[in-house]
Amino acid sequence: MRLHDLSTTALRGVTRNRSRALLTMLGIIIGVGAVVLMTSVGKSMESVILGQISALGPKTIALWPGKNGPEMGAATLNPDFDSIKLSDVEALKRLRTVSNIAPGIFIEGKTTYGTEETDTRVMGASPEAYTNQVVTIAEGRLHDAQDEFDGRFVAVLGPDTARDLFYNQSPIGKRISIGNHKYTVIGVLEPVGTQFFQNADERVVIPFETARIVSGRTYVDMVSMQSTEDPADAIDDIQWLLRRRHKIVPPATGASTDNDDFLVRSSAQAQEILSTVSISLTVFITMIAAISLVVGGIGIMNIMLVAVTERTREIGLRKALGAQGRDILLQFLIEAVTLTFLGGLVGLIGGLGVNALIVAIATRFLERYIFAVNPIAIVAALLMAAGTGLAFGIYPARKASRLNPIEALRYE
Amino acid sequence: MTSSKTTPLIETIGLNKSYVNDEVETPVLHDINLSISSGEFVAIMGPSGSGKSTLMHILGFLDVPTSGHYNFKGASTEEKSEDELARIRSASVSFVFQSFNLLPRTSVFDNVMLPLLYNSATRVSERKDRVMKAIESVGLTDRATYLSNQLSGGQQQRVAIARALVTTPEIIFADEPTGNLDSTSGTHVMEILQNLHRSGHTIILVTHEQMTAEHAERIIRLHDGHVISDDRAFTRRIAKRGGQIK
Repeated sequence: MRLHDLSTTALRGVTRNRSRALLTMLGIIIGVGAVVLMTSVGKSMESVILGQISALGPKTIALWPGKNGPEMGAATLNPDFDSIKLSDVEALKRLRTVSNIAPGIFIEGKTTYGTEETDTRVMGASPEAYTNQVVTIAEGRLHDAQDEFDGRFVAVLGPDTARDLFYNQSPIGKRISIGNHKYTVIGVLEPVGTQFFQNADERVVIPFETARIVSGRTYVDMVSMQSTEDPADAIDDIQWLLRRRHKIVPPATGASTDNDDFLVRSSAQAQEILSTVSISLTVFITMIAAISLVVGGIGIMNIMLVAVTERTREIGLRKALGAQGRDILLQFLIEAVTLTFLGGLVGLIGGLGVNALIVAIATRFLERYIFAVNPIAIVAALLMAAGTGLAFGIYPARKASRLNPIEALRYE
Repeated sequence: MTSSKTTPLIETIGLNKSYVNDEVETPVLHDINLSISSGEFVAIMGPSGSGKSTLMHILGFLDVPTSGHYNFKGASTEEKSEDELARIRSASVSFVFQSFNLLPRTSVFDNVMLPLLYNSATRVSERKDRVMKAIESVGLTDRATYLSNQLSGGQQQRVAIARALVTTPEIIFADEPTGNLDSTSGTHVMEILQNLHRSGHTIILVTHEQMTAEHAERIIRLHDGHVISDDRAFTRRIAKRGGQIK
């Protein structure tokens, strides 16, 4: 039988019972739709995460206390939260491979202006942090070395914090309270959007020296810096320095960082780790979505078995008229693949449609959220849909092709 | 056609058929020795259970004998695979069934076209002409675009005959073709078969009705799987008496 005749015959089989065909396809539609949607959202999220990190610049290096850094929860839950001393920071400044050392201390306590208050995170940081984190001023000025040197009570606000406390008034020159102390607002930052799932526009920055005096701390919560050459060399130097100062001996077996009480990472490394996390998350969700394809495939097999039984006489007739087993096999197989492929196509369009909707909503909240589709996932989803048709269509089709023509013709 | 002058179209020698169900062997056909030449109009007659349908299935390559020989156009047909049998069916035989067996909700044209889809000898460009010619020969040209379920029983059986003609087979098997029809439609269908016979087609009619069988020029009677008579002179005898075949 010619391929064209086969496909015409199969297509007629599909269109003969349209509502049933559509219901049969539903599992595949949902499966493919979910796969396409999940991979697209995953790719969009990836671009959000990667966009934030790449804004930091490839030479930015961050140092946190504790072996696991900030990823394992709040700094205060970390048993080694006080491992990076002020003297360590001074020692870092003597390394040739890093520059722009910017220590930071987080201050507890509410920020208030009059009756308005917010729960924002207050960070005492030296002015070098502005360069490391690539922030720019929208109004007023950033705090400088003199503010730092004097330990002045001045504050720079993120745009969201400024709006929360002052609405439309200019906050410059106003005095706000953080904990038990009063600070004069000297600047408001440009919005940067979300960084590491936290709204970076909600921050308050005060001079590091001021924070150190207010908190009475001898240790810091993080240090940001720039590598002067290869970030990998800088990380080696930092690890060597801190291990020597903290009297840490790397274990004989396992990772060399296993005994460390600090974590140091370049933005390139962080980018790698986050994209790995985001990819494995996407793969995981996609696999769950793919289960729906299997369920859809079982539905296809079920309905194809029903179709074979219903059309037993037709199969007998076709065989009596000269159809070979192969002709019948291919007819039903193409019918199953047509069902799943059409389902895949509808699912693809549906998935992209829902994705477009999500993009339209998400771009209002996430600055870097972009419409992204994963072309590999689309091709894979369609191939998987067609493959589902093949895999689950083969059994009913074989059954049909092996029918005895005489018995099939007599079937009531 | 040259070989059919010397060798019969169909020749069975000591053909037996039995079915095995739960290790119990049920014989259906015993020692069938038949010879049918090209252009004959033969009726295989017998009551139900006589084995006439089984014989038709074997002669029509839908089934295979348990033992004995079946030579088609002088060539042995034993030990053919299912696909080889399907190819012989496609090229050489066609069937008209009691219950028409048209594809539902499918046009007359497409129903008649169906055997051509499996007939690799027919070129795609020839199909339309052959289908329309076959439909014309059963007088349904104006119904070609109708769906099969929009036709009367008699019309449906004529579509089935057109479908049997379209591949220009060497034998047309008609299995109780009038069984589901009223007498007027049945007569019409038998007239068409007789016309086909006159124009040279070989027709093997399977029936349990004497009236229907009498349209043929030769009647083979079966009883309990045995050929009990093979009456070639039947039509001549009727003709001698000046009788008309109705």
